Amino acid sequence: MAKKQKAKKQKTKKRKAAKKSSARMAGRRAISVATSADKTVKQRVAAMAAAPLAVCESEKDLQAMLKVLSDSSEPIAVRLAALQSLGAAAFSVLSFESCRADYIATLRKVADDPDPELRQRVLGILMREKDGYAQRKLLDGLKNPAKALLPPEKALQLLSYDVHADAYSVARDILKKPPNDEAKREALRLLAADAKAVPLFEKVLRDKKELRENRQIAASALHALHPDKLQQSARKILLDKSDYADIKATSLTALEQFGDEEALGKDKALLQSINRFRASKAPAKYKQTARRFLSKYDQ
Amino acid sequence: MRNATIERALSEPQFAALVDALAADPDRREQLAELLREDHALYNDRGAATVVRMRGWVLLALARVGVTDAALIFVLEELDTGIDAYLVACAARALRSYPHPDATLAPFVARALANIRYRDEPVSLESYGEYVVSATGSSAVSELLATLAWLGPHARGVLPELDALRAQSGLTRKLRLDLDRALQAIRGSAYGEGAATPACCGGALADARSTSTFAPDSRRDCGPVRSIVLQDQDGRSITFADFFCQRPSIVVFFYTRCDNPMKCSLTVTKLARVQKLLAARRLADKIHSAAITYDPAFDLPERLRVYGQDRGVRMDADHRMLRAVEDNDALRKHFELGVNFVESLVNRHRIEVYILDAEGRIAVSFARIHWDEADVVARAAAVLERDEFRFA
Repeated sequence: MAKKQKAKKQKTKKRKAAKKSSARMAGRRAISVATSADKTVKQRVAAMAAAPLAVCESEKDLQAMLKVLSDSSEPIAVRLAALQSLGAAAFSVLSFESCRADYIATLRKVADDPDPELRQRVLGILMREKDGYAQRKLLDGLKNPAKALLPPEKALQLLSYDVHADAYSVARDILKKPPNDEAKREALRLLAADAKAVPLFEKVLRDKKELRENRQIAASALHALHPDKLQQSARKILLDKSDYADIKATSLTALEQFGDEEALGKDKALLQSINRFRASKAPAKYKQTARRFLSKYDQ
Repeated sequence: MRNATIERALSEPQFAALVDALAADPDRREQLAELLREDHALYNDRGAATVVRMRGWVLLALARVGVTDAALIFVLEELDTGIDAYLVACAARALRSYPHPDATLAPFVARALANIRYRDEPVSLESYGEYVVSATGSSAVSELLATLAWLGPHARGVLPELDALRAQSGLTRKLRLDLDRALQAIRGSAYGEGAATPACCGGALADARSTSTFAPDSRRDCGPVRSIVLQDQDGRSITFADFFCQRPSIVVFFYTRCDNPMKCSLTVTKLARVQKLLAARRLADKIHSAAITYDPAFDLPERLRVYGQDRGVRMDADHRMLRAVEDNDALRKHFELGVNFVESLVNRHRIEVYILDAEGRIAVSFARIHWDEADVVARAAAVLERDEFRFA
C-alpha cells in the first residue's frame, strides 16, 4: 500500500515538473519570437503576451526584452507590448528580484522617448514606484513647459500617486493660471491631500461659476481634510435657491451621512429648503436624496 | 552646533557644494553629522525625493572622510529602517569608512539587505543627485554585500541569513559573485581565522547612542507645552498637563501617511505590544501611553482611531492616540522632534519614543533605531518606581 502511494506521489511530482518545464520552454520560445526582428509585428505582440512567465529565467532573455523596450527603431506596438510583458513579470516581486534594477534603469532611459504613449506609460510605472527621477522630470516639465514630457494634467495626475512629492506649490501655480480645464481639475485633485488647502476648497465649492466636477472634487476634499467645513458649506448651498441640483444632492449626502443629527433636526430653515428641493423640478435621483434625508426627521 | 552661515534657502547644487566644502575642511567635518538631523532648517519645505538626494550626498561625504562615532547612528538608522535604495546604498558605503568595525554592525547590514532586496535599484554614487539610466554601476544590494565583505569575520553572526540568501535564486550573476566574495571574507579565508574580536563594551552600537537617559534634576520642564490642547481618537480634548503630568507615560510619534512600514506603522504596532506588556505587569493604570501624530492637520480623530485600531492599540482614558489641536510647533520644539515638513506634510522623520515622568518631563528617549518593547516597559516601570518613592 505504502509502495503504491509512494509511486503515485512520484508520478505526480514528475508530471508537475514536466508541466513546469514545458511552460518554461514555451515562455523561452515566446521570448525568442517576441525579440526577433524577423517576425511580423503581430506575431511579436502575440508572443509578448506569453513572455512574462519566462522573462526572468535568463539574463540574456531579460536583456533582449529590455533592448526591445528601449530601442526606438523597433515598432512602437512591439515596444508597448514589451513594456506590458515586463510590467506583468514585475508584478511577481519575488521572481522579478534579479531583474528589477535593470528594469528600473531602462524605464528611466525610456521616460523621454519620442513616443508620447510609451513615455506616459513608463512615467506612470515609475511614479507608482515613487521614483525620484520621474518625479523630478514631471516637476521640471510643469515649471517649464518647454521641458514637459507629458501634458500638465497627466503630469499632475502621476505626481498625485506620491503624496510626498513636492507638488503642492506647482499645483497651486497651475490653479492660478490653468492651461486648460483638465489641468485645473487634476491640480485640485492633487491638492485634496494638502491640509492647508481647506480655504481653497471652500471657495471652489461655493463658487457657482466653477465647473460642477471641480465643485464635487472640492466637496470630497473638504470631507477628507475638514469635515466640519464641508458641513457648513453644504448647509449654505442647500439654503441657496439658485444653486445646482447635483451640488445640492452632494451637500445633502454629506449632511445625511456625517452631520450632527440633533442639530440638523432643529434647523428649520434648512429643513424648509430641503422640502423645497424635494418639490422642485430637479431630476428624480436628486429628489430621492432629499426624500431620504427628510424621512430621518419625520418630514 | 548649527552653523549660522548655513542658509535654509540653498539650491541643491549649493547644498552639494557646501557638503563638499565641509568634507574638505578637517576643522568643519564634524558639521556633516549635524546636516543629517531631520529638523535641520536646510530640509524645510523640500520634497521627500529632494531630502533623499541631500542626505545621500552627506552620507557619501562621510564615506570619503570617515564616519565618526557621532555620525554612526545616522548610518545605522538608514540601514535599520531605510526603504530607499539610494540612501541605503549611501549608508552601506559610508559604514565602510567607520574605523572600528565590529560584530554589532553586521545585523544592521543583514537587516538592510532583507529590507531592500526587493526594492533594489541601480545607483550612481559619484555625483550629486544623479539617477542611473543604464544597467551599469552599483546598487543598494551590491553596496551592502561589499560592506559585509568589509566586515569580514565580524559578520559571522549573520552567516545563516547569508547562506539562506545564497540558496535562493533571486540574485543576478554579478550579485551572486559579490555574495560569494562576502561569504569568503566572513568565513575568514581573506582575513585569517579568528580575526573577529569580540566587541568591547557594547561595541560600535554603544557608541552610536540611540538611547538617552536624563537624571531627574537635568530633565527639561514641560512648562511651555503644559497648556497645549490635544485631541484624542474620539474627539475628546485634553491638555498636555492633564494627560502627561499625572503619571509616567510612554509616548511615540507617528503619522498616518507615513509610507515606510519600518517606521510609523511598526512603531504604533509596537506601542500596542507595550500596552500588553504593561497590562501583564499590572501597570496599565499606572503608566499612560500615547501615540502623537506629527501631522495633526490631516490626522483627524477618525483617522487616528482607525490607524490605532488596525494595529491593535488599546484606546481608553489612559491610553490615547493624540493630535495637537494647535501649536504643534511648541510640541515639536519641546521634544526636539526629528521631523521636517514640506508645506504641511512630513518629508522625513526618525523613529522616536519617550518615557515621561509624572511631571511630563522627558526621562528617557529612544531614537532612530529599533527599540525593544520589554526594555521600554522596564525603564518606564523604573521611572514609576522612582516617582512613587519621591512622592511617598
